[in-house]
Amino acid sequence: MNTRYTWKTFARELTALILAVVFCLPLYILVSVALKPNNELFTKPWEFTSSPAFGNFGDAWNERSDPSIGHSLLSSAIITLGSVAFLVLIGSLCAYVIARRPGKLSGLLYFLFVLGIIVPFQLCIVPLYAAFRWMGVTGSYLSMIILWVGVFMPLTVFLYTGFTRQLPRDYEESARVDGAGIFRTFFRVVFPLLRPVTGTVAIMTGLFIWNDFFASLIFVGGTNNETIPVAIYSFVGEYLTKWNLVFAVVIIALLPLVIFFVLAQKQMIRGFAGGIRG
Amino acid sequence: MVFVGPSGCGKTTALRMVAGLEDITEGTIRVGDKIVNGIDPGERDMAMVFQNYALYPHMSIFENIAFPLRARHTSKSEVRSRVERTAALLGLTEYLKRKPRTLSGGQRQRVAMGRAIVREPQAFLMDEPLSNLDAKLRVQMRSEISNLQRDLGVTTIYVTHDQVEAMTMGTRIAIMRKGVLQQQGPPQQVYAEPANIFVAAFIGSPGMNFLQATLGRDESGFELRLPGQTLRLSDAVVSARPALAAYVDRELAMGIRPESLALGPTGGPSLRATVSRIEVLGAESLIYVTLAGQAVVSDEMIEAAVDVDATAASTLKQEAEQCQVTLIVRSEPDTDVRVGDQVNITPIQHRLHLFDLESGAAVTS
Repeated sequence: MNTRYTWKTFARELTALILAVVFCLPLYILVSVALKPNNELFTKPWEFTSSPAFGNFGDAWNERSDPSIGHSLLSSAIITLGSVAFLVLIGSLCAYVIARRPGKLSGLLYFLFVLGIIVPFQLCIVPLYAAFRWMGVTGSYLSMIILWVGVFMPLTVFLYTGFTRQLPRDYEESARVDGAGIFRTFFRVVFPLLRPVTGTVAIMTGLFIWNDFFASLIFVGGTNNETIPVAIYSFVGEYLTKWNLVFAVVIIALLPLVIFFVLAQKQMIRGFAGGIRG
Repeated sequence: MVFVGPSGCGKTTALRMVAGLEDITEGTIRVGDKIVNGIDPGERDMAMVFQNYALYPHMSIFENIAFPLRARHTSKSEVRSRVERTAALLGLTEYLKRKPRTLSGGQRQRVAMGRAIVREPQAFLMDEPLSNLDAKLRVQMRSEISNLQRDLGVTTIYVTHDQVEAMTMGTRIAIMRKGVLQQQGPPQQVYAEPANIFVAAFIGSPGMNFLQATLGRDESGFELRLPGQTLRLSDAVVSARPALAAYVDRELAMGIRPESLALGPTGGPSLRATVSRIEVLGAESLIYVTLAGQAVVSDEMIEAAVDVDATAASTLKQEAEQCQVTLIVRSEPDTDVRVGDQVNITPIQHRLHLFDLESGAAVTS
């Protein structure tokens, strides 16, 4: 192996370093502003404060009461977890049928699902709102879960179908010969083998749903079930905005995701990399 | 029962039909007296071992072996005792908590066997279960599976494309070609009395020698005429094949196994040939001899030959163009013949095979 330190290596390292700084800058601003006392907010915008105000987090947490930040976090968690759970359950089952029962109907269904990926969901907001109002679910968790399951089902089915088609049929056939019914075969044999794509679906859709502002504002904005991005928005006032509290609450909103990633990253990466090794 | 045949002959499809994994268009499949045509695979009471074992990678060895029992809602205590008993029988007890990926090929093979055994089914179906193992392990597992099958006394259908596996493991073997059963019977019978030229060429290693000859007849009896020489057929050969009279002055294929050819004059009718190659294998030597004649180049011959050696088809065609035939003689290891020697080769007449060139069928009665 060539271990000589050349200009090329130096240039590469320097580029990587600059890129790292660029990527870290927003994080620095986030933490720096969140810890600033009120009097330093506009006088020293770039400097890291010498007297960090940890109380900002407490103030941000208590700033809202109806609903509280804690309740909004819970709302976000319920909507995200609920949507992802239904997406994974229904999407994987649907893809299994499409992948394993080739025929005209399966082909047509698959085509329709793929078509669904192209349509931007914002286009359907008005009829959706009318439909939810007719169903009497506006402002509820259910409306958000139905919305997200519908929005992401095409992508979910697309991802699961592609992966299921690659799975060797031997596992399922072996289970069939062993006397397992279709549901036991799916849930005990096939579904665990889909772990890598389940991880992909959960992360892709989960992050989008957790961070979504637009749909949440329309469907649950102003209700007790507001999600955390909408709650953060309420910190921005017409005449006065306490940016240190806004940034503190953003950190609070990020924490569950960061904690989840730190705890689950080993399993997640193993799941992605593990695939279907026998 | 072992299903054997070249790739694509339909042996795996036939096995899958028995298992219920493929639909059948006609005929009946019976387990004992019960017709199982329309019955779901899980209710046919058969266990299958797949080529790649199909062990569930996310389950422990215990769970893998227990799967068929759990699918049948067997009680927990019963599952535990039967899995442990099976694992002990196969030497897998210490691996029960492990995942399949941590086991070697041979151990995985045993787990797949365990999953089949634990149910105590009416029949085992095995689809080339040894093809993923290296040669040494294959020999070991071959005898392990044979012993296990004998001990358990369960009817087993075993699919393989390896004729050595078929010969050594089968009580009966069925040779298939292009979806059609060619012959079935005990291995020795199939080896000694092949029903057609395909079976004759496919079974045996090294394979049977073939050459084309014209059947002649004079006052003293029948003879096979080759370019420049003839081979007189003994009365026993002729009387065992009454149909032979219809082939007079017609060409047919003569087949003789390497061990049924003797080097040097032994008193019987013989052929003159030149030694072209000698392979010393330790316990025996294979002497390749060449003589003028026409090689048998039919579809069946090529298919059977290619299964052993991919270049065999071109070698056969080349020999046919040069009007030369190479025969293999199995001889003692300390033979004193040299390459280039002119030798007499004497076929053991009662082990001679004659085949119709068009249909490929053995000329018998």
